[in-house]
Amino acid sequence: MKTSLFLIIVLISGAFAGFIHGTSNLVLVEPYLDEAINIENQNLFASGEEEDTLEFWVEYEGYREWQKGGQILAGVILGTSLGALFGIVFALSRNSLPGNNDVKKALVLAGIMWLTIYFIPFLKYPANPPTVGDADTVVLRGILYLSFIAISGFAAVGFYKLSKAFEGKKKIISLFGYVALVSIVFFAMPENPDENTAPANLVEGFRIMSVLGVSTFWIAIGLVLGLLWTRFNPNREVPSFN
Amino acid sequence: MSQSRQINVSKTGVPTIAIIALAIIFAAGLFVVGFDQGHIFSIAFGEQAFEDLYIHELTHDMRHAAGFPCH
Repeated sequence: MKTSLFLIIVLISGAFAGFIHGTSNLVLVEPYLDEAINIENQNLFASGEEEDTLEFWVEYEGYREWQKGGQILAGVILGTSLGALFGIVFALSRNSLPGNNDVKKALVLAGIMWLTIYFIPFLKYPANPPTVGDADTVVLRGILYLSFIAISGFAAVGFYKLSKAFEGKKKIISLFGYVALVSIVFFAMPENPDENTAPANLVEGFRIMSVLGVSTFWIAIGLVLGLLWTRFNPNREVPSFN
Repeated sequence: MSQSRQINVSKTGVPTIAIIALAIIFAAGLFVVGFDQGHIFSIAFGEQAFEDLYIHELTHDMRHAAGFPCH
């Protein structure tokens, strides 16, 4: 394998998919973030911590524009990060993935990773908009979320390895094993400790758009990496002279 | 008399150095966007970084949108 070509393909795929994710969020998620932050502002006015003045809103709008630009930058950083993981797993599992071309293989893997390290953890610890969340519990919530992602991800890899020990239809035993383990962990792990007092329609709408945005990323990374792998093929045969 | 022969060798193994580099990028990027609460800038700016939270604020919207606990 050509190391530099492999790294370039993986990093470009991740950064581009992350850019798409960040840009999509400007349309999908930002209206809900603005609504949630406005609730926070009203709470600040009610408590007397801030005054509802023109000066406040000018400063606020400038600040929010900066954060919205950060959404795209953070999308590129997160995309490059998750793309790096995706690239490792794709390169190691490519020969075992179903599909008759690299785009199909990459999309299948993207679907598996979306399910195991995003959507299943999301069902346990769903995304929340601003106004939800106690700053005193943020470290605990971070540890819980990351732990569930790690358990689900490593369980998927472990049961995939185990499936190789079985023949034919017996391989489905590994799938049941994964489902059983993750189900136990799902119900055994503590709930999010914070009380959710935000309007239900705001929280539900935000969560749906959050899932759509992240799903956009996983579709994009599968497509872009698959296409770049097909075009440049870092696995191609290397001439050797004896 | 020596002869030179070309043989096509299929090297499909994933280089360890590439896996290490990508693993570092994965961990660093995930920390920056998902979990930093002033830790990175505290290396240069000390305790003040935990008050300013520049990276936290810059990544704030994506942190919420991607499902990470933010505040």
